Amino acid sequence: MSERVIEGIGATPRTGAGSVVWYRPGATSEDDSEEPVPESDREAERERFETARERAREELEAERERTAERVGEEEAAVFDAHRQFLDDPQIEEGVTEAIEGGTPAASAVREAFADPITQFEGMDGQMAERADDLRDVRDRLVRLLVGGERVDLAELPEGSILLAERLTPSDTAQLDPERVAGFATSTGGRTSHAAIFARSLAIPAVLGVGSDLESIEEDERIVVDGDEGIVVADPTDERVAAARTATADEVLDGRVATVDGREVEVAANVGRAADLEGAVSQGADGIGLYRTEFLFLDREEPPAEAEQYERYVEALEAFPEGRVVVRTLDIGGDKRIPYLDLPDEENPFLGERGIRRSLSSDEGLFETQLRALLRAGAAEGGDLAVMFPLVSTVEELEAALSRVEAVADSLASEGLEYAMPELGVMIETPGAVFMADELASRVDFLSIGTNDLAQYVMAAARENERVADLHDPLHPPMLRAIARSVEAAHDNDAWIGMCGEMAGDPDLTELLVGLGLDELSMSAVTIPAVKGNVSGVEDERARDLATHALTTTTRVDVTNLLSDS
Amino acid sequence: MSEPHERTVEIVPEAGLHARPAAKFVETANDHDATVKIGSAEDGDEDLIDAGSMIAVTSLGVKQGEHLRIVAEGEDAEEALDALERVLSTPEGKS
Repeated sequence: MSERVIEGIGATPRTGAGSVVWYRPGATSEDDSEEPVPESDREAERERFETARERAREELEAERERTAERVGEEEAAVFDAHRQFLDDPQIEEGVTEAIEGGTPAASAVREAFADPITQFEGMDGQMAERADDLRDVRDRLVRLLVGGERVDLAELPEGSILLAERLTPSDTAQLDPERVAGFATSTGGRTSHAAIFARSLAIPAVLGVGSDLESIEEDERIVVDGDEGIVVADPTDERVAAARTATADEVLDGRVATVDGREVEVAANVGRAADLEGAVSQGADGIGLYRTEFLFLDREEPPAEAEQYERYVEALEAFPEGRVVVRTLDIGGDKRIPYLDLPDEENPFLGERGIRRSLSSDEGLFETQLRALLRAGAAEGGDLAVMFPLVSTVEELEAALSRVEAVADSLASEGLEYAMPELGVMIETPGAVFMADELASRVDFLSIGTNDLAQYVMAAARENERVADLHDPLHPPMLRAIARSVEAAHDNDAWIGMCGEMAGDPDLTELLVGLGLDELSMSAVTIPAVKGNVSGVEDERARDLATHALTTTTRVDVTNLLSDS
Repeated sequence: MSEPHERTVEIVPEAGLHARPAAKFVETANDHDATVKIGSAEDGDEDLIDAGSMIAVTSLGVKQGEHLRIVAEGEDAEEALDALERVLSTPEGKS
């Protein structure tokens, strides 16, 4: 039998082999009859519904606990919403009436959820997302009613390759990286939650495989090659053996430079305290993006200055010879934080988030964070840099800088030790790209956040599958935005880094170096590969590649150019 | 049989009776030993909907500044009304 190779989008440069476990939360089985239930059995059918609902409650409770423990209270809150829908009297009434009229329980459940789902879908912004929650609850009930076996994601057999249409954040939160040899999904792209999750835990993963994934059956032996972005059914023994013995790229400690001696800093993105260790072990030169949000989530009150100070010092100590770039709090209406008065916005991604919120709120959060940062800057360890997220005007930057000055003044007057860190701006909005020159002249560095930049330049929401294609950073508008920012930085003697998913794609290293980026920051898992690639870059060739890429008109031209080089 | 208690309350949360305020409202309605029905201030008794249903409550689409008619019947009717009024009078995030 010959191999069958199915193409998708590689999310992790790792390869795994194992037996297929299908995860189909909404699946139905042969028990799922549409035949009317005879009158004498209707009472029993109603009891079946009650039993299914009781089991659904138990499952939700267990999943809630597990998610709270493994991921956090914020992510666990979604299960409370599911519980509310599960017990909704309108649903109960609809189901009961349908069953009394002879409809089988599973069909009754589907019917009862249909209208509410349509209703929520028609609403704006966040309420529309509740339609997904309703679907989840409906599918759970249907599965329990038709006896479909539930795959327990936390208890997969060792060496499993998980296949699914999609994996939600609550699904991935339950996966045990020790047992999962890899996963593949028919939907999703490089910047989806599942992809970021896979990279942070170095799990082989291929996403966006499409409906061909369905042709692979339970218990089949397959290989998931996240490097090539392929799923291989009926793999040869050689391929399986290669996948099993595949070792990660060699970790390169210390700075790397191109063949011609141009140094490029390769740093790690850190989003949880636990990421620090991975960053060090994968040979990161420093931290190019320290997301501070995790310090603020899953708690009843904001972290005090002393606690933040300790965390920042801990990061600086992990990289005594390197640089740690801390992003100030980037939080908006899409997050649930009990102690913050976050607005319910119709479109939180275009709302009061990032620096906008830091500047407008009177809670003192920004000052507390800046105090902790400036004090940490004076501590032993690496060099501290601080950057502001979602800036789109020079006014915002100047306001932020004057807040930094004010904090420094008050620390000085209190006689506390502090040091002024390098200050920078994230390039994430078209406004920042157009004003990159003026922004760069006021700071030490710029850092391009490509995930958000793509979202705003291409006007395509990050989690929306339908527009995932527009998220490819190789679209010419993105390349031109990047080139413009690099030029602005260098014209103003500022350095420029990139901290989005694009920076961690080893296939793009030559292009990015050619575009002139001084620093690349990524999930720890791709650091060795990118470092290796930097060392192989010839400056002139890379510059030519970038120059050519910038003259192209379409993404296809760009990808062709890259595959030819 | 207890008499129904009722009052009309202005919606203070910015989101109206949506999202978090709606979830809190439904939770509060279900926490009391009372049957609670709601509607817009002009709605007659037949138009009132079940306050214990997240789906129904959200579908009302009551916005900030509008008035909500709440009718409660049962042992805890008065306490339920007090608690629900507190939810509706609390600006977002302050609870």
